[in-house]
This record gives sequence, structure tokens and C-alpha cells, in this order.
Amino acid sequence: MKTILVVTSAAALVVGVADVASAHHSFAAEFDANAPVTLRGTITKMEWINPHSWIHIDVKNPDGTVTEWMVEGGTPNTLFRRGFTREAVKAGMEITVEGYRAKNGANRANGRDLILNDGRRLFMGSSGTGAPIDGKDAAEAK
Amino acid sequence: MNARVAMVAALLSFGVASAVVSLHAQSAPAAKPAAKPAAAKVYAAKTPWGDPDLQGVWDYKTITPLERPQNFGDRQFLTDEEVARLEANAAKRLDQPPDETVPATLVHAPYMTDPGRKVDEDRRTSLIVDPPDGRVPPLTPEAQRRQALRQAGNRNGGTDGPEQRSSLERCITMGLPSGNLPTLYNNNIRIVQSPGYVAITHEMVHDTRIIPLDNRAPISPKIHQWFGDSRGHWDGNTLVVETANFSDKTNYRGSGATLHLVERFTRSGKNNVEYRVTLDDPTTWTKPWTIELHMRTSEGDLYEYACHEGNYGLHNILEEARDADKAAAKNASKAGVSE
Repeated sequence: MKTILVVTSAAALVVGVADVASAHHSFAAEFDANAPVTLRGTITKMEWINPHSWIHIDVKNPDGTVTEWMVEGGTPNTLFRRGFTREAVKAGMEITVEGYRAKNGANRANGRDLILNDGRRLFMGSSGTGAPIDGKDAAEAK
Repeated sequence: MNARVAMVAALLSFGVASAVVSLHAQSAPAAKPAAKPAAAKVYAAKTPWGDPDLQGVWDYKTITPLERPQNFGDRQFLTDEEVARLEANAAKRLDQPPDETVPATLVHAPYMTDPGRKVDEDRRTSLIVDPPDGRVPPLTPEAQRRQALRQAGNRNGGTDGPEQRSSLERCITMGLPSGNLPTLYNNNIRIVQSPGYVAITHEMVHDTRIIPLDNRAPISPKIHQWFGDSRGHWDGNTLVVETANFSDKTNYRGSGATLHLVERFTRSGKNNVEYRVTLDDPTTWTKPWTIELHMRTSEGDLYEYACHEGNYGLHNILEEARDADKAAAKNASKAGVSE
């Protein structure tokens, strides 16, 4: 019983944190949580801009045509603190984006999970520790 | 906001106070009367001209919530077990891809944010230290009416134009005291001093306030500003900053232009500054209330947050709204034809 109580209180405190923390802008005014998208493409441009970064990608369609998408990511300050520099994300890299599409159907998405083809997740640091990407982590070589 | 990663410095700086706190947590998880907050420890660093030295980049992120979750009752301190579990959960959220427990409607998955991995060093169940229940006092009837009017006027959340969006979405200001309270990222301030002045730059939305220390008269009560108007003085080793003259265009948890803040910054260690803010607004809350947190030397520099430079979000929100208007008009027109 004691264990259950502890779990409950811990969960409540996490919820409390979520209540306090506010994002820079509203998800609901911009994206559709019922329109998940998975995009695989090539980065054409990385905008390291405030308040949030935007990654532009070319997605190849089955018929051979290419569709340009832009995907919203985290704030540059956080990205940098987690070890990503402009050297770490460049045009030409392959990326898989899981996210949610703009409400009006534009080729614009909120990036929930951004995975480079070397397995690294944008914003997560090299091995999930937040360590800088400096070549010292074996996981970086993959 | 969310991981100037290893908080080794913070952990090392816990010292005697947290040891005492953890004893409380282990032996007395039951209700205990709220203790009057102890005076901050003082680390007597001085500037070359003899003022207490608060200069540096200070990191205030913490996973301790502003308000005490209801299930803690009137318990002030976390147990060791709770601290361990909360910090493990926080690390997991930051270090793992989002799973099904992460709502789709977050602008950022937790791992893209920087809200911290540690509870505040005093291990309280809330950042609010007064009132003793750790919760924001109730809104006055006047404040409730004001909030209803704000909502009716779509002051925060309408999409007719940019004026209806929040000052944060518009990249105008995070406001006060929000600019010094934990959020999803950018939880840093830089303090710079010169004889007669203290300047505080808040990383979130990159606001700087310049605080005179020369006892000059406050500005006219007719003048209202986004960031209010601040005056500072020293109380021993503590910088006391009083701020009034707020604009009604922004608010903190329903506050009005009559909000009056008293902030206290105390250098409590080589790498530590204690921050306390008392919020008083008789038109908003039934009594004043106080938040306390402990800042640490930031692991890195303060970075620019030039929020205006690429604020596509505001454009996109308004574009979505206009497209929705057009779609609604088209549907209405179709309905009219079919009738």
C-alpha cells in the first residue's frame, strides 16, 4: 500500500510540473493532433531560429515527385545545450520525422520525434545523456 | 524548459540544509506545521566597490512544482524515496523518445525541452513557501470578474489578430515574475552590477531590466509598462527589488496592473543564489504569497533568445484561423444554396 501511495504522489508531482510549464505557443491553434504524419526525407535547410527551430526536408513521393515540408523543432538554445551544433545537422542528411500536420493541410508539421539516419535523435544528445557530440562517445560513430 | 545537464554543482552544494531536510522527509512524512522560512545562507562576495556580488549566469530550473499537489496534503518536504523517483522519472522523460503517455498536443516532446532533472535543493513539495498550504491563494471576486472579461474579450487565445495572442506568443515579454520562474526551457538569468545599478537579463524572451539602487522616486502611477518599474536596495547582503506599474496587457495567474512584487536575491554560496518573490495584489488574491527557489551557476553561457526573428508560430496560428474562416464561409454558402 505504501508503494502505491508513493507512485501516486510522484505521478502527481510530474503532472504539477506539466501544469507549470508552458510552451511558447499553442499546439491546438496550429496543428492537428488527429493528423499524425511520418515523413522520410532529406534535409534541405536547417533554420536555427528563435523561438523554435525549423527543419526543411524534401520528401520523395512514390511517383518520383518531391514534396517540400517544414517541421518545427525545439528552441535553438536547448538544442545547443543538448550538444547539437550547426555541424551536427546539415543539408543532405536523411531524417525521419514523426509528427502532426498543420490544421489547414499545409506541408508543415510539428516534429514529435526527429531521427537522423545515423540513429541520433535531434535534441536528445549523443546517447541520451545530454553529452556534447564530440566524437568521444562510441554511440556517435554509428 | 530543460537540461543544463549534469547538476553536479547543485548536488554538491546541498550541504547541511538539505541533510536536515532529508531527515524531516524520512522521519516525518506526516503533517507538520509550516515553518517560517529560514533566513538565506550568506556567501559574502563583494564587488570592487563594496556591494554584495550577485553577478553571474544563474540557472533556476527545477522539477519542483509551483503549487503543492493536493495529495501531499500539508506536508512540506519530500521523502528521499520520492526525490529519487521524481528525479528518475524526469531523467527518463528527457532521455527517451516520447511514448504513449506523452500527449500529442505538446508543442515539444519532453526530450526536446530543458525543464531540469532535479527537485529544488530544499526538497519542498512546492516552490510556494507561503501560505503554508503551498498553493496560490484564491482569486478575489474582482479578479474573477476581470478574468471573465479577459476571456470574453479573447485577450489571451482569440485569433482575430495578433493582439489577442499572449505576450509570450508575440515575443514581447515573458513578464514578471514568470521570467524568473521555471518553465520548459531558457531557465537562466544573467546579473550584471555597476555602482548604483543592477541589470538582470532573463533568457526567456531576452528581457533585460535595469534596476536603479539610488532611492530615486518611483515613476508616476499613471504609467504602466510590460515589465513594470523596478527599484532596488540592499538589505544586508540581500538585493531587494520592488516592482510596480505593471501593464494590464499582461498578467501572472490573473494579476492586475496593481501587482506589486518584492524580490529578494541572496548570494548563498559561491555557486548559489537564493531567490524569493512575494506577490501582493489586493485586487487579485485574498492575501500575499511567496515563492522561493535556489539558483545555481549555469553550466554554460546565457544565450540570445531573439524570439521575433523566426516567430513563424504566430503567423501560422493566424493563417490557420483565416483558412478556417474561409472554410466556414464556404460551408455556410453551400448550405445556403442547398436550402
